[in-house]
Amino acid sequence: MGRGEHWTAGQPFCGARAWNEVLERFLRRGWTMTKEACVIKGNRHGLMLSVSEEASFAEILGQLREKLSAHRDFFQGAVVRLHSSAAFLSEDRVDDLAAVVHEYGMTLDRTMTLEDQRPQKQQRQKVPEFNLDDTKLIRRTIRSGQSIHYSGNVVVMGDVNAGSEIVCSGDILILGSLRGVAHAGAEGNAKAVVFAFRLEPTQLRIAHYISRAPDEKGPKPTGPELAQVVDNLIQIRPYGRFVKR
Amino acid sequence: MGEAIVITSGKGGVGKTTTTANLGTGLAHNKHKICLVDADIGLRNLDVVLGLENRIVYDLVDVVEGRCRLRQALIKDKRYDSLFLLPAAQTKEKDAVSPEQMAELMGTLKSEFDFIIVDCPAGIEQGFKNAISGADRAVIVTTPEVSAVRDADRIIGLLEAAEVYDPQLIINRLRPDMVRRGDMMDIQDIIDILAIPLVGVVPDDESIIVSSNRGEPVVLDQRSRPGQAYRNIVRRLEGLEVPFMDLEQKTVMHRLRTLFGIGGKR
Ligand SMILES: Nc1ncnc2c1ncn2[C@@H]1O[C@H](COP(=O)(O)OP(=O)(O)O)[C@@H](O)[C@H]1O
Ligand SMILES: [Mg+2]
Repeated sequence: MGRGEHWTAGQPFCGARAWNEVLERFLRRGWTMTKEACVIKGNRHGLMLSVSEEASFAEILGQLREKLSAHRDFFQGAVVRLHSSAAFLSEDRVDDLAAVVHEYGMTLDRTMTLEDQRPQKQQRQKVPEFNLDDTKLIRRTIRSGQSIHYSGNVVVMGDVNAGSEIVCSGDILILGSLRGVAHAGAEGNAKAVVFAFRLEPTQLRIAHYISRAPDEKGPKPTGPELAQVVDNLIQIRPYGRFVKR
Repeated sequence: MGEAIVITSGKGGVGKTTTTANLGTGLAHNKHKICLVDADIGLRNLDVVLGLENRIVYDLVDVVEGRCRLRQALIKDKRYDSLFLLPAAQTKEKDAVSPEQMAELMGTLKSEFDFIIVDCPAGIEQGFKNAISGADRAVIVTTPEVSAVRDADRIIGLLEAAEVYDPQLIINRLRPDMVRRGDMMDIQDIIDILAIPLVGVVPDDESIIVSSNRGEPVVLDQRSRPGQAYRNIVRRLEGLEVPFMDLEQKTVMHRLRTLFGIGGKR
């Protein structure tokens, strides 16, 4: 959500023209109003109201009123779609939300959606989703001279020692130290990633990209890291940073 | 029924033969019936380290090929009546023996001895495969060098594939001064990579070379530090928990104790 543009109360948004402009601008980019108890987002599918499952329902209603009243003109006549899980919002609560939305001249589309409808372009910068279909789980240490070849993803619960290799068409997740060679997306998938608790490989390959360990001994990684291809280079970043954003 | 332990490393010259001679002698000193088997066919030297070279008449290949009975080939040690050596053939090729023949021989030896300790040749070929066939467990010897540790890792993988599980580790030729200066891998680094329980650390010491040349294993020298290290390993192989010697690496030694606690499960 952090990448969205914040719509602050002082901005002069009013009337249908402004509305169109705003929608236009955000057709390509998702945006967020706030990240509190309730959030109103706009994207190419229109307006979306999502409510935090951490907040109390009273808080949600309070904040919704605040936001809608601050931008009364802007929201006039719009349809807003509800984005939450049915488990969290009972029928009664949805009725309450609909009533508030109606007070401010809008209609609530009650079909709930949990899908994130931000455009694809943005998602690439986000936490990659590991597709766990077709995954080989290995519960041991992969030692020097051993090699694992698999069509799919590979998850190792153990270390992958220097002198060994893992080659697969999907992602590689090492719940331990990666010291050997890892080749993810070996059949050409440049979106494949390599993750390890301690990522200190001899060599990393993703699709046809290759990178190797620096000749000088660098500092050891202190936490989980993730390697992926960014701008035609294999880039390694601490995994925690992906999660925080 | 005895137990066959193979002493192996992958890399040559790291101390397998020295280890075999010392552990065998130490176990015999503690009243166990021991047979040492030199599986390094074509490059035998366990007999030399034990000072028994001049007594060899028959060897392992002679036994396997039926040229003599097992009893005729076994050489009794100079010092201990319960210690025997089955020497390797010096003039034959490594593939003179098959893994099946070796396993059968091990079976026979196990019915007569408490421990059979097999000195494995370097490498991962036929000689290695012969040496590990019939083994109940393995002790991996490594020196604190990246290449030796890498080979040890390879060997551990091959042992798993051959269904010899839960190997134990001996780190040989450690030099605390070099570790302290950061010029040598420390014990923890090695254990992090190999992830197998440690059964002993033997310091690098001139007395080993002196005693090997004399044919008198250092384990018998009460004042020697590597001798003490080997005596400790002997007792751990007997199943006792012995604290690790302080090789002037206090912090590491402290961590080792906890590690051994886990590893001592076998
Ligand atoms: N802890 C030690 N300190 C000093 N020298 C050692 C030590 N261990 C082994 N050596 C020496 O290293 C050489 C190789 O040892 P050896 O036991 O023959 O290795 P391997 O059987 O693995 O080839 C020998 O000369 C031996 O005396
Ligand atoms: Mg040797």
